[in-house]
Formats: sequence, C-alpha cells, structure tokens
Amino acid sequence: MGLEGRKADLPTVPEGGHGEASFLTTKLDFLVNWSRRNSLWPMPFGTACCAIEMMASAASKYDLARFGMERMSFSPRQADLLICAGRVTYKMAPVLRKIWDQMPQPKWCISMGACASSGGVFDVYSMVQGIDTIIPVDVYVPGCPPRPEGLIYGILMLHEKIKGEKLSEKSLRAEDPLRVGKPNRSPEVIEAITGPFGNSTKQNRVSGLTSTAALARPTDRLP
Amino acid sequence: MDKPFEKAVQGLETGPEASTPEAAGQGGVESTGHPSVAALREKFGAAILKAVVFSGDEHCVYVDAERSAEILHWLRDDASQRYDYLQDLTAIDYGGGRPLEVVYQLWSNTHKRQLRLKVTLPLHALEIDSVYDLWRTSDWLEREVFDLFGIHFRGHPDLRRILMPENYAEGHPLRKDFPLRGRFSRAEQTRLALSMRVEDYYTPDELTIGGTPVAAGDGLAREGRVGGPSEAVKNTTDPMIGGDIPISQRAPVPGGEATQGR
Repeated sequence: MGLEGRKADLPTVPEGGHGEASFLTTKLDFLVNWSRRNSLWPMPFGTACCAIEMMASAASKYDLARFGMERMSFSPRQADLLICAGRVTYKMAPVLRKIWDQMPQPKWCISMGACASSGGVFDVYSMVQGIDTIIPVDVYVPGCPPRPEGLIYGILMLHEKIKGEKLSEKSLRAEDPLRVGKPNRSPEVIEAITGPFGNSTKQNRVSGLTSTAALARPTDRLP
Repeated sequence: MDKPFEKAVQGLETGPEASTPEAAGQGGVESTGHPSVAALREKFGAAILKAVVFSGDEHCVYVDAERSAEILHWLRDDASQRYDYLQDLTAIDYGGGRPLEVVYQLWSNTHKRQLRLKVTLPLHALEIDSVYDLWRTSDWLEREVFDLFGIHFRGHPDLRRILMPENYAEGHPLRKDFPLRGRFSRAEQTRLALSMRVEDYYTPDELTIGGTPVAAGDGLAREGRVGGPSEAVKNTTDPMIGGDIPISQRAPVPGGEATQGR
C-alpha cells in the first residue's frame, strides 16, 4: 500500500471549520507547507544502533539532502524535526523532553526503530516504553534497526502529513506552557500503552524460586 | 513442540530452579600452586576461609569480611605480592536468600599474576570496608556496586548512585529480588524520571562541559564533602600509586625515564 492508500489515516482539518477556505489561504497553505516540508532540518537524537542507520541515511548513498535535510542541526533551536533513533532510558527522558521543549514551532517528531516506538525488547525497569509517553510523535518507523529506506519512507510520510496542514488550524501548533517538562500522556494512558504483551507477560517475576504473578492484564498472557 | 523449545518455556511460571552448587559459585577444586594463596594462608590463617580454583588457573580466595581491607592492603603493598592493579570490583547475587558476594579481581604488574578475592556478605549486613585508599579506580566501581546491589562501602568519600538517576527510589536493580520492570508503575516511573532536576543532585563542577579539568577530589573538597586522596597516598614514595602527585614531584622510577610521561 502506497502513501495514497493511507491518506485516510492522516490528520485532516474539517473544511470550513475555521472560516471559509479562500483561494488566497489555500494557496498560502500550499506555499508554506511546500517550503516547510522541503527544508526540514533534523535534530538527531541518536542513542543506539538506529543512529548508525540514520547516519547512513545522511551519507552519500541515501543522501537525505535530497529532501531538504542538508544539515543535521545539533542545536534544537535551529531544528524542525526531532528524529529519536534508539532506546531511551528513564535517565535520558528529561533530556529528550527538554530538547523537544527547546525546539521552536513548527516542529515534528519521528520515532525511529522499535525501541524508541515501544521499548522494543527492553521491557525492563530502566527503559522508556515508547517515547510517545514523553513527547508527541508524528511518524513511527518500525524496524530493528530500520534500513535507511525505512527512515526515508517515514520522512516522506511526514511530508504527506505536512501537506495536509492548514495555517488556520491554531491548535495544530499550540503549546501549553504548563505542560513543559511533563509527560505527554495521562497516567492512565501511559499504563494502557506500556503494559506487558506477548512474551514479555512471562517475565514479570523475580528470581529466588517464587513467582510474583502480578500481572495487571491476565488476558494478555500467552496460552 | 520441540524439546529445546519446551525447555525454554519450562519454569516460566515458577521462576528459576535452585541453583546447583556449581552455578551458585560454590564449585571449583581446592587451590594449589598459587604463591599468593599459600602466603595468605600463612599470614592470615583463619581469615582465609577457603581457596578454590576454577577453569585450571583462576584462583579465588574467600576471605573474612571483617579483615578484607587489611588483607587487600597487604596484597597490594607486600613486596612478594604487589597486586597494584584492581582490574575489577563487582558483586554477585545468586538469589534465593543466599548471601551476596563482593569480588575483587587483582593483577600484579610486578609478578604478572592474577588473583580473585571474594567476600560473602549476608543479606542483613551488606557492609564492607572501602578500598578507595588502596586503588583509586575503586571509586566508581564501588559506587556502581552500591547503586545496583545496595552494598554499603564504609569509608568511601562519595558513595551515591552512578548509573541510575539520583532520584531513583525503587531500590537496587541487580538484586535478584528486584522485579524485572521495577517496583513502580510505568506512569509513576515516567513522572519521576521527568521530575528529575540534575541541578539538585550534582555539583556545578560536574555539570560543566569543557573548561579546565578538575580532579574529582578537589571538586568534592570545595563542596565541603570529604574527598581527595588519603594521607597515605599523599605521602607515598611509591611512584606506582602516587596518583595525585604531579609527575614533576614524583620520585623518579628507577631506570625508566620513558615512563615519566605516562
């Protein structure tokens, strides 16, 4: 399924909800979105092997510069796109959140790889189970690690998403100062999306000959 | 279902079975032929609980917890031993309520010999003398063991967490009674992690990037904490262990100008 087939999943702004879409505003949206998506400067937040693939994507063979990402911005102040590549520990979580808070709008985020998206195989005490509990994510790139083609596909998906944005949609770029440095989701949602699943339901025990069997969702247990 | 796969699934509900003595580090045969083991037995007698050898040449000496620092001091300084390099300091938890073991892996540059020392600590008394004054490399190693196992090192000048965040409140993760996912819910872990303010836990020196490097002991002393090298290290004439003495003021290494710039 190509990008065309996924258009239904992309966020859309209801027509007419924010004033009539005139010829001028639609053309302005087109122009702004065109310039934004063709000059996405990425802030590389590389913490593990995914970062190697991200570097390969930026190197000569895959050449991210083709998509207007000429310059990796190692300062969040000059970056538009946070690429979180690799596993994030709880010790690193405030750093990630601070970098996201320091990036000026408009900004987007790609969660690259299984660990950044869901914690991956590291369902342990020290790992963030998906960076969407910390910061909002626009595109998730699966893989362990994803090949450069995968990352580029995710970037092109983000391009499609930016195409659908409208300047009149104020909530799209709105930020609440009170949320700075706070988790991205409510405690209930974090619990729901970080629960153990699959093989990991078998691991909620301690050593020492006893089983804790303290699973919150027994229906998730493997047969 | 294939047999190997069956084996992998076995015991998932009940946890691991009781370890065999070998798996719990209690195997090995009586150590013979290592010069340090014989010397230790002669010098310290009853404080040497037992000496075993693994894999042919890995000699391991179990010593009394009360006298471990004294024995290590002798092993470092005695001319016939000279274990001047602490290769590793770590700990083992075999689970099931068994005592923890602190492991010292020593190497002698003079005699080209290796020796492993183990100290067993019961779970209700996880305390041992620090060897910070003997080998400065034990500074972070002891902090790591404290962080992950909760073993308290008496006399360490700056015993605090090193790997886990300073505001970590769930205990010591490498202990076998520690649940794999931690003790708190994921929501609480996330909230706690994001509430971490590094300024509350680290000195300005530690948070400075670049600038003039400052020895850890100096930074601690300025903060009013006990730190820096011990008097024994400061006044030493042994060039091998004079870590904090400027190279220009060190006693020359006999016949070795080439080593001055190390």
